[in-house]
Amino acid sequence: MSEPGDLLHVVTADEISDQRRALGRVLVWGSFGLLVATFAVLGLAQADVIGLQLPNWRPALYAFLFWGTCLGISRVLLSGEQGKRSLFILPATLFVVATVIFPLIFALGIAFSNWNLSSLEGRSFNGLDNVRQMWSDPFYWNALGNMVYYTLAILVEYAIAFGLALILASNIRGRRFFRVAFLLPLMLSPVAVSWMIGKSMMEVRFGPLARLARWLGWDRPSFFGDPEIARATIMMMDAWTYIPFMMIMILAGLQAIPREIQEAARVDGAGGWRSFWEVTFPLMLPVSITAILIRVIFKLKLADIIINVTSGGPGGATDSVTSFIFREYRDRSNVGYGTLLAIVYLLLIVIAITVFMKLVDRWMNPRY
Amino acid sequence: MKVEIYDYLRRRGALKRRDVLKGMAGAGTLAAFSGVASGIGVRPVWAADNAGLRAEILKIPGVGMGSPTDADWQKVGGMTLGPTRETVAEGEFSGVELTFMGLNNQNLHNFLFRGFLKPWEAYTGATINWIDLAQADYNARLQQSIATGTVDFDIIEMGAPFEGDVLGRGMASEMPAWVAELIDMDDYVGYLKAPVGTWDGKTYRISIDGDCHTFAYRTDYYDNEEFAAAWKAAGNDSAWAPPTTWSEVNAHSKFLVGKTDPLTGLDAHGFLDPLKGWGGFGFYFLEDRATGYAKHPDDPAWLFDPETMKPRVNNPAFVRAIQEVMDLIDAGAYPADQINADPGTTAFQQFLAGTGGALTWWGDVGSNARTSDTSVVGDVVGFDIIPAGDAVWNSRTGAWEEGVNEAPNMAYIGWGVYVMATVDSDSKRQKAAWSAAAHLGGKDLSLWASAYPSGFQPYRNSHFRYEEWEEAGYDRAFVEDYLGSNADSYNHSNAAIEPRIPGIFQYYSVAEDELAKGFAGQYGSAQETADAIAAAWENITDQIGRDNQIKLYKASLGM
Repeated sequence: MSEPGDLLHVVTADEISDQRRALGRVLVWGSFGLLVATFAVLGLAQADVIGLQLPNWRPALYAFLFWGTCLGISRVLLSGEQGKRSLFILPATLFVVATVIFPLIFALGIAFSNWNLSSLEGRSFNGLDNVRQMWSDPFYWNALGNMVYYTLAILVEYAIAFGLALILASNIRGRRFFRVAFLLPLMLSPVAVSWMIGKSMMEVRFGPLARLARWLGWDRPSFFGDPEIARATIMMMDAWTYIPFMMIMILAGLQAIPREIQEAARVDGAGGWRSFWEVTFPLMLPVSITAILIRVIFKLKLADIIINVTSGGPGGATDSVTSFIFREYRDRSNVGYGTLLAIVYLLLIVIAITVFMKLVDRWMNPRY
Repeated sequence: MKVEIYDYLRRRGALKRRDVLKGMAGAGTLAAFSGVASGIGVRPVWAADNAGLRAEILKIPGVGMGSPTDADWQKVGGMTLGPTRETVAEGEFSGVELTFMGLNNQNLHNFLFRGFLKPWEAYTGATINWIDLAQADYNARLQQSIATGTVDFDIIEMGAPFEGDVLGRGMASEMPAWVAELIDMDDYVGYLKAPVGTWDGKTYRISIDGDCHTFAYRTDYYDNEEFAAAWKAAGNDSAWAPPTTWSEVNAHSKFLVGKTDPLTGLDAHGFLDPLKGWGGFGFYFLEDRATGYAKHPDDPAWLFDPETMKPRVNNPAFVRAIQEVMDLIDAGAYPADQINADPGTTAFQQFLAGTGGALTWWGDVGSNARTSDTSVVGDVVGFDIIPAGDAVWNSRTGAWEEGVNEAPNMAYIGWGVYVMATVDSDSKRQKAAWSAAAHLGGKDLSLWASAYPSGFQPYRNSHFRYEEWEEAGYDRAFVEDYLGSNADSYNHSNAAIEPRIPGIFQYYSVAEDELAKGFAGQYGSAQETADAIAAAWENITDQIGRDNQIKLYKASLGM
């Protein structure tokens, strides 16, 4: 606070007394102590260690809210003007902690438990048993393998999205109409796509796509009968839904490129392909990376179309990790194992995305 | 009754005004003879064969007079209040508040219950709060309530397969003797009698519905002279007639490969097996093929060994059923993409739309065949109990026994009303809860529910008195055709009743996954597929607790 640079942003200089500081510390640590004590009492009551009958864990919520409020007040008491600034971010931080961090910690506890909702014994800690089960679970590894195929398909989706964006960025007739028309699949719920396309248009007897396939010479069209075809069909339905999302991001990027750069390239004699490859594409890399990254995240959550259309079949050929976890958790009430699978998948995603971003960073910002 | 049947009858005009009047006149005569006046002056009597009252309630609102409304439900509830008046004093439950958890499918179930119980609430003074759940949310809500110990309801509408989860944990209240007498449980169809609804010899369930699989087939296939001639020309000695055993089903399916459907002019197909899972429900359809081989008349158990919980799903009976499906896959007997067909597809997108010669399903296919706008097979569909095995595997001797063995599959068993043990500590609340449940499961009220849109199937022997339906204005031939195959299944002495053990749908769900792999050719044989299912079932049993499962399985079998 004594540095002149800091003082420039301070409306009033704070003179905080020792008494005020002490009050602030008492408030924050006192309320924290109350929070810990509440959790401890509730935990002991639930474990029947003490003879207290509490219907729910609501007191913990009240203690957390009380501690959050005291924390905010103490920030002002302890740091004055600086503390007031932190009040802008503190509620959001506490909310995230309450709704993301806490559940994640609880989820970790559940992930290392044997907890089948039909078991009379309830939940019990089972160490690494769930990890071992996962290790030897062919359904999970099969689903993970499928996710590699599904994720690689994003490269094709990206190429198509880029092509469509280039078309829409050029001066074609009916550009506005096509912009809206191309976006329509994105507006559809994947569940609607599942029924409209997967179950109706691809219905082997009456579906228009099946009729078209027959007209083209495919005697007994079957879009989900063969593992490879089924996987490709799921990829196409998912791609049809989400290519517009990538397209619209790339289109926004294209429109942000100054015209002068393109014109300068043309003046320098660059043809269409060279202008794209050496000017447009490099300039679009940051947008492209963002679009691909978000698309990867969407793709890793792929489940709804699969659950509705194939249930993961034939023989697991289209199963995704999420659709498998859905069956494990919802149909089999296997909460412990299902949670472990979800946690492992989360870790894999975090690691893969981090590595991907690091590689992209190195590629785009080489350090010589 | 299912909504679609009712709508069909109204649309089709099966009920002419004259018929309604005739029905009313007949009912009036009946009422006069039985000493029961009509209209407001009806004295609700709950004697076992209360023909007058039954005829009267069947006129609310009158078949063909529009869908029943809340006012009609209340009227029915009021007219069938007799048993309550006999057992409860007016205002006796004043101040009692109960919570009822049930479904809200098609705006039926709980919506009807509300109307039925309004007069009961007014008379007894009790109040009922409602928890309405969509079908898809029901299982998760119930399982979570059980697992977390947060049972916030006093009365529940529940399917019998969950009895293991609820009754097995001692969470339900035992039915008092006065309730059993009140609802005339002797009138239940055979398979709904004990041990269904009972646990360790105690009774807990008031049935309000019945469920089973029946066999639906295309009569035009079997009336077709070209097919008959070709069947004979192929060297078959047996008559070209609807199959009664699974061997015949497979023979017919293979024979129909390459033939043309007489109705649609497209490819003809035989039996439609759903080869894709359906949240566990798909396993019922493999059971249909297996019960004839696996359910021995001298043994109530057929899915597990009751002494060890060792799965029987990989015994020769089930392997034979799986093999027969694989044979039809190899023979190209199914429509294209059958590997991606779940039971919903086989019923509504295939059979009713004219693809396939036969299938097994619940009563919906029978009713939809004639009532759905999208059905093209209404005039060419016949019904029977599911086909039999031509041999049965005796698990006790470990040998096949030759001979036809019928074993209808009572898939899902049907809905019931249960009272939770939470009311047992307060005798007033307990009596109130059971009185409300008994009102919903009352004999006369149930006749109305089986005859009008309610979401429930007939489930009492008295529901199959076709003259009552005819009297009410229904087309007798239709009703007999629709209900007959159900009645024969319900009362079959060797009906296969599913184990009511905790987590039964977990077993079914994992079996679906393994079967899908087997049907896709990822296992070397039917035996290997069955072994994979058995191994997965053993894991589930171990996780849920083998000793307890054995105990509960035996209890559910009445052993």
